[in-house]
Amino acid sequence: MVGTQPQPVTIAFDVMGTDHGPAEVVRGAAMLSLESPHIHTLLVGDRTLIDEALAETKHNGERISVQHAADFVGMDEKPGEALARKPNASVAVAARLVAEGEADALVSAGNTGAGVLACARHFKLIPGVRRAALATVYPTRSVRGAKEDPFSLILDVGATVEATADDLVTFAVMGSAYARIISKNDRPKVALLSNGVEPQKGPPRVVEAHSRLSSLGDINFIGNVEGIDIPKGTADVIVTDGFTGNVCLKMLEGVHDTVVELAQYAYKESLRWRAGLAMLSSGIQRIKDITDWNQYGGAPILGFDKIFIKAHGRSKSRAIANAGKVAAKVVANNLGQAIREGLKK
Amino acid sequence: MSLPDRIDPRPPRRIYRWDLDKTYLQTEFDSLRDLVRTAFQKAHQKVAVPGASALIRELSEQGDSRLCIVSGSPKQMRAVLEEKLKLDGVKWDEFVLKDNVGNLLRGRFRALRGQVGYKLPAILESRVHAPVEAEEVLFGDDAEADAFIYSLFADLIAGRVDERVLSQVLEAGGVYPDDQARVREAWKKIPVSDPVRRIFIHLDRLTPPAQFTAYGPRVVPIFNYFQAALVLLADGHLTAPQVLKIAVEMVQTAGHNIITLSNSFQDLLRRGLPLQQAAIALSQALEGPNKLLAAMRPMPDILAAFSKRLAALGTPPPPPPVQAVDYVKLIHHAMPRNSKRRTKPAEE
Repeated sequence: MVGTQPQPVTIAFDVMGTDHGPAEVVRGAAMLSLESPHIHTLLVGDRTLIDEALAETKHNGERISVQHAADFVGMDEKPGEALARKPNASVAVAARLVAEGEADALVSAGNTGAGVLACARHFKLIPGVRRAALATVYPTRSVRGAKEDPFSLILDVGATVEATADDLVTFAVMGSAYARIISKNDRPKVALLSNGVEPQKGPPRVVEAHSRLSSLGDINFIGNVEGIDIPKGTADVIVTDGFTGNVCLKMLEGVHDTVVELAQYAYKESLRWRAGLAMLSSGIQRIKDITDWNQYGGAPILGFDKIFIKAHGRSKSRAIANAGKVAAKVVANNLGQAIREGLKK
Repeated sequence: MSLPDRIDPRPPRRIYRWDLDKTYLQTEFDSLRDLVRTAFQKAHQKVAVPGASALIRELSEQGDSRLCIVSGSPKQMRAVLEEKLKLDGVKWDEFVLKDNVGNLLRGRFRALRGQVGYKLPAILESRVHAPVEAEEVLFGDDAEADAFIYSLFADLIAGRVDERVLSQVLEAGGVYPDDQARVREAWKKIPVSDPVRRIFIHLDRLTPPAQFTAYGPRVVPIFNYFQAALVLLADGHLTAPQVLKIAVEMVQTAGHNIITLSNSFQDLLRRGLPLQQAAIALSQALEGPNKLLAAMRPMPDILAAFSKRLAALGTPPPPPPVQAVDYVKLIHHAMPRNSKRRTKPAEE
């Protein structure tokens, strides 16, 4: 039995600063300790709060350790200022521990900017990567890979606001490597987000990136896609710059919220509509299951020599545990090496 | 003056009481299928909890301790269980098994699954013959009522539980009148003393440790026997080299590693157990010229990992305060798992 276990992996969790409080992250780590024997968790945050939550939660104490960090960055704080004032904030301590080799990856559901900044300060960029990319996953109509993953990867969604053609090519290599590992998708379809599918559409940097990606044989580049193709799942990896990606992501989230509100309105408005919704309930539940980002856990910051998985601020324990699993999978499959090899070609 | 015609063994200075299933043996009996499989297992098919046999062997090294096993397994399994213990190199002084067939024939169905009416009289009767100064350490698990029964046993002989509370507990626990009589009879024969030092509860079901806080700091829930060894090192029952031997066996035979051992160490520190001195003792043991320990690499790495885990916590918290145990309130902990009266902790 010992020989068949995967190599042990240690994941550092920034426990503090999330919407649901430290106990939810601790419960997620506890869940992980029960479900994945090869994953060890290093919980970084207020030790008293962590111990209280852990003592009340079913967990395996052999697979959990704690690093005390007195401070944390709140969701509403400005990342740069907060980290300058609080060098011992949990996310900074956790990033440092990962950089020092005490853990193999970092998971945080706290302030995204602080997480990215902490990584930028403690991690190194992979040679050939000029700027890191913040990725996100979005539910789509089609599924992909051996896992029939219903999510596509969009990057960048905010780390690099003005990406050059070089950056976009790098993002494509990184996103492709990540999708290969996480979705078990041997040849993920990679596309550039533009205002038309023709190669000449878009600003010069997008046109140039299109030209260069077309000549890269190792990437399954399918050309440009438009916004409408994102929810369709036309591409498995969609590459764009941080400005467009962030606008796009927020709009997609807005559409989702609006649909939910409309359904709620319909439910209240008329008995006939309510009956219709009831008849569709199994289908609605299926859509809900597929689009439940709790199943996916989190999305990576790509480009650093260490792994950072950013979980949603509203993550509950299941999402946190899944983010830990994603992080462990990325570490076990040596994403950094895959990106390095992709960039050499 | 004539020489004595026999040399009596030294009176035991320490008594170690062990449960068997889920404490010493990795036994599954949650379903009928598990029960049948367990009943037909041969000795070599039974698997001990990692580190348990090594711990028992090290505890008996001093030569002045007794090992008393009281198990809920049926008497019919004695031969195979004894064979398993012998295979593991475990020597026992007392081995009590449950008369389930007798209970069945007499129509005592409550006694089939009930633990209080079986274990409490058994360990009290065993204590009757022990020297008053003999210390006790008890080992149980979280699958049944061990924390409750062992704590009650400790407080009964220490005079901290009176006749009224005992009667309430025995009645509420559904103990048959003849077993109640055995409890009272044995209890009255035991001189008042306070010998129970520790009660270890192996977290086979990974019950959250906080669920045992009602029993006070004497009860130590443990995820593995390396944790028990560390506490016993701090309590003076084991030496540092003995603890290292237990750890090495767990590394070599059960897939434990630097991370699991150092996490286990830190887990106890976080729960307020004063183990800083134990870490120093382990460190000193490794620095000595002992060839056996020199072969135990990567133990220095484990110590380095311990130090890191220790440093990660900052100032250790004070140990948990001693408290009185409210057995009448906690009696539902001692009810069989299928009993409607066994409430979940969240409902307390």
